[in-house]
This record gives sequence, structure tokens and C-alpha cells, in this order.
Amino acid sequence: MPEPDHSPLDTPQSTPYDERLLLAQRTDAEINQAVLQPMMQTGMGFWVLVGFLSLVVVWGLYAWGFLVYWGIGVTGKNRPVYWTLFITTFVFWVGISHAGTMISAVLRLLKADWRRPITRGAEAMTAFALMMAALYPLIHLGRVWKFYWMIPYPNNRLMWPNFQSPLMWDMVAIFTYLIGSSLYLYLALIPDMAMGRDHTNGWRYRLYRALALGWRGTEGEWHKLHRALGIFSVAIIPIFLSVHSIVSWDFAVTIQPRWHSTIFAPYFVIGAVYSGLSALASILVVVRRGMRLQEFLRAEHFNALGKLVLVAGMAWVYFWFAGFIVEWYGNEPVVRELIHEEVAGRLSPLFYLQMSANLIPIVLLVFKRIRTTPALLLAATLLVNIGMFTERALIVIGSLQRNDLPFNWGTYRPTWVEISIVAMTFAGFALLYTLFSRVIPFVPVWEIKEGRLRYTVRRIGRLLVPTAAEID
Amino acid sequence: MTLMALFHESTDTAEVIDELHNLGIPDHQIVVITGVPYPEGALGRQREWLTLPYIVLAGAAAGMLFGLFLAVITPHLYRLDVGGHPPVGFPPAAVIIFIFTMMATIVSTFLGVLWEMNFPRFGPAPYHGLVTDGHLAVIVDIPSQLEEQVKQMLESHHAHHIGEPEWMAL
Repeated sequence: MPEPDHSPLDTPQSTPYDERLLLAQRTDAEINQAVLQPMMQTGMGFWVLVGFLSLVVVWGLYAWGFLVYWGIGVTGKNRPVYWTLFITTFVFWVGISHAGTMISAVLRLLKADWRRPITRGAEAMTAFALMMAALYPLIHLGRVWKFYWMIPYPNNRLMWPNFQSPLMWDMVAIFTYLIGSSLYLYLALIPDMAMGRDHTNGWRYRLYRALALGWRGTEGEWHKLHRALGIFSVAIIPIFLSVHSIVSWDFAVTIQPRWHSTIFAPYFVIGAVYSGLSALASILVVVRRGMRLQEFLRAEHFNALGKLVLVAGMAWVYFWFAGFIVEWYGNEPVVRELIHEEVAGRLSPLFYLQMSANLIPIVLLVFKRIRTTPALLLAATLLVNIGMFTERALIVIGSLQRNDLPFNWGTYRPTWVEISIVAMTFAGFALLYTLFSRVIPFVPVWEIKEGRLRYTVRRIGRLLVPTAAEID
Repeated sequence: MTLMALFHESTDTAEVIDELHNLGIPDHQIVVITGVPYPEGALGRQREWLTLPYIVLAGAAAGMLFGLFLAVITPHLYRLDVGGHPPVGFPPAAVIIFIFTMMATIVSTFLGVLWEMNFPRFGPAPYHGLVTDGHLAVIVDIPSQLEEQVKQMLESHHAHHIGEPEWMAL
């Protein structure tokens, strides 16, 4: 058998890894410019996108104002379907927010170096998705000015909010996660703000200087920053697990058939991770092209992210089936009716869309070519989120159409007000993200430079392979 | 007097710090500024002792007490009895106490690290813009009689931009 043709042993530059960012022969100054330059250049396409998204947001705000003026009756909400498209989208956005912590905190603790270029994008996605999610309880109230009843102080007739209610748990959990993820995003941003301060002028200089807080990069500052990020990484993981668990308990603590399930919390969490990681992959593909970050967001990052999506997808299937088989075997009359509605009734188009959109990407992502080709990865991960949105709609809206009182069964149709408001939050998320990518360095520059300290090429037998040093 | 010097290499920087120690200059009179976090001990410096973990623990304890107040005390301040339900139940109280503990942990970590770093601090400070371009800066307070000796030592370790530091508005 002929010997395989290895690369020449004496020239590390000719290894298959020499294009990897952490090994690239780039100076720090070149990396700074490679990140800052795309932020400064905003072509016509950027402003057209911002204009379009702003128009959708303005239209959605009009629809919200219409709802506030005329009352919640302008939505399709009814008895028994009292939670509708608003709560469906709320659950969806909370789910999307889960990838930021997954990528940043978990992979930081595991010292996974491939996380470095994508952490900031993931953290920003978490913060913006939570901002969109936090709007829905306000919108869903109808009388939004009564919101202060949920703030923990003796507000009306010296009454305190009812902390036995899962809706209160929801509010404090989401605010905790929003505060935590925003502070986490900002803390890791401070050294890059100092880099921006040193290389810009005008309004950018003033902004970066204010956000850098006087950062110089002394050993003491780095040491304290590292310690704080370590504490954040540990503390935010139980928060991220608790948030979607609490959202699931909004449903599971009721006696509504198909909601009253002990598996709901982990099922929601794994669904959130599946959906959030997929959304992150989709966003990275788009931002990479829009900001010409091909050097930073490379095939190895998409490959690793694609594998995570694949694993999360398989876990989601397991949890879905574990819940479904118990319900099916139990054969409770209302649950049987709901399953029939999904599998062979009016809800079947949504059910089969959900299953195919969640299962097909799992099969696709098995192939490395799909994971490492941005357009194919984008298609697969967008499909996941179509599936996950449909899944949320089936859980929230589908389940409520049937209950233990057959005379009280009903259906639901969304109105233009609900559709406009949902579109507003999707456009609002995209708008925030678009503006963020032009104001804040999308790639965490200092983390990439730190990663370069760890990497070298080492000879193992006849191969030259990248090797990471074990340093904290 | 204060001197600043810039370096391309961390090895040169570590050797300079050793030589400054040999000249009798204590560690607290030497400041090293970098655009990248170097591993602990790489530049031959001692780590500072941090109060941050204690601040975080105190914050977490305060958050837990606040959660305890909201979940256990407030239901008694305006009591509304709902048939068959105790005014306070363990599972809801556990959720609220957990969340407020974690919220306070996160917030106290953030405020604690800003306090430890003495941030925000926008006044002028010795700094050089090349630091974020990958250069390592050493700022050292020395007696004026050592000036020439220190400068020669810095030059012998490939330092550049040697001189009085510029006080930049940060």
C-alpha cells in the first residue's frame, strides 16, 4: 500500500492549519483594523435595511397603540384560547436568548477556543432577544399602565405582588437574566472599548472612551476582569437554566391537558438551546457576509457550532418523544383529542411542519459539508427556528383549544394587530443587531489576541498540528 | 521620576522587570500595561489579593435575604387567604429566593469589579496608544540617580519610546 503524501515537515507555514485565525501571521494592529474597518463603512444597503426595519417597528408600535386604545378585544384572544400569538412569541424569544450563555459561559468554562470570535455576537443576541421577550408581558396585559402592580413594592392599597404566582417568577427571572446577560456582555467589552478609543475620533471616540471607563490594561485590571468573568460564567448558568424552566412552569403548574407535565422544564430548556444555537448560526452567517468577517468567522467555527446544534437537536427529539409517549399511552380523553387534532386533525399541517422542520436539519447537520458551507448551514438553522416557532404555537395555542369542559372548546385566529406586533419584535431585534454590529466591535478582539498566545504548531510524528497551551 | 518604555516581546518585558527588582525597585512601583491578558506569572509579577469574591458572597447573602423577605414576609403584610392555600409555600418561596440570590450575585460581581478597578476613572493617566496595537508598556517610578542606568538597561532589552510617560485623558 503506498504511503500517504504528507506535507513537508520543516515548514509550518505549509500545514493545512496555517489559515486558522489563531495561528495567522497577523499583527495586533492589523487585527484591530480588520475589526474596526467594516464598522466604519456603511453603504446604501445598510441604510435601506435600517430604514425598512424601522418602518416595520413603527407600524408595530402603531398596532400596539391601537391595542392599548381599543383594548385587548382587538386581538384574537378568546375563551378558551387566552394565551395566543403574544405568549407563543414570548416563549420563542426567551428560547432564542439561551444560546448566548451556552456559548459564552459554558464554553468559556470549558476553555473551548473556537468560541472566541463568536461570543460577543452570541451575548448580544441574548440581550436583544430578552428585550423583545420582555415586551410581551407588557403587550399581553393590554392595560400596560398597570404594569407597576408587578414591581415588588406595596403599590396599590399597600398590597404586595403575589409571589406565589408563576407570572411573578417569570418577571423576576427574565429581568435577572436580562440584567445578567447585559452586564456580562458589557464587562467583556471594556478592553475592546479601550482599543476603539485608541483608534477612532469624533463621536465614536467619545462613545468608546465613556464605555471604556478609563481602562488601561494593567496587569491588575486584567486579573480582576478575568476573575469577574469567571464568576459571571458560573453564576449565569443556573440563571439560564432557571429562566426557561420558570417559563415552562407558567404552563406546567396549571391543570390544562398537555401542559401539566413534569418533563416540561428540561424539554423547554433543551428546545431553547436548540433554537438559540440555530439562530446564532443563522445570524453569524449573515453578519459574516454583511461585515466581511470571513477571516474571523471560519469553517471551523461553523463546523463546531453545527455540531452543537446537531447534539441539541437530538436531545430535543429525545425529550419530545419522552413527553409524547407518556401522553399517548395515558390515553386521557382530552389529551387523546389533542393528539388526534395534531396528527390527523386541523392542527396537522402545523404538527408535520414542526416535526419536519426540526428533524430534517438534524439529518442534514450530520454532514460536514452542510455544517461548513454557510449558505447550507443558514438554510438548515432557519428551518430549525421555523420548526421551533411552530412547536411553541402548538404548545400554547393548540393545547388551549381543548380542555376538560367540551362545551368550552374553541379555536383561534390571529388578527392584524397581533401579526403586526409580532413582526415589530422580529424587526426590532434585527434593527438592534444591525446597529450594534456597526457601533460595537462584533468580534471580541482581546479574546482573539489572547487565544493567539495559546496556540502553536507542534510536530507529532510526520504531522504538524495546532496545539493549545494549558494556561489560565 | 517616572519612566515609560515600550516592548515588542513579553520575554524582554519579564527580563526588564527582573532587572528592576535587582536594582532595588519594589514591585508596587512598576506598572505593566498590555493589550492582551498574559498568563499568571508570565511577566514575573505577584498577583494582587482580591476582595471581589467576598463582595460577591456578601451580595449573594443580601439578595437571599431580600428574596426571603419578598417570599415569606410580604404575604403576611397584607394577608389574602385563598381557600386551602397557605399564605407561604416552600416551592414558590424557593424560586423567588433563588432568583433574587442570583440577581444580587451578578450585580455585586459587576459593581465589585468596578470598585476593585477604581472605575470609572476618566482623568489623565500614564498611557500609550500603541498598547492596544500589541506593545507592552512598563511604567516605573525610580530615584533620579538611577535614570541613566535604568535607561541603558531598558535599551539593552530592545525597549523603545523610552522617556517620561504621556499623561493621556482616558
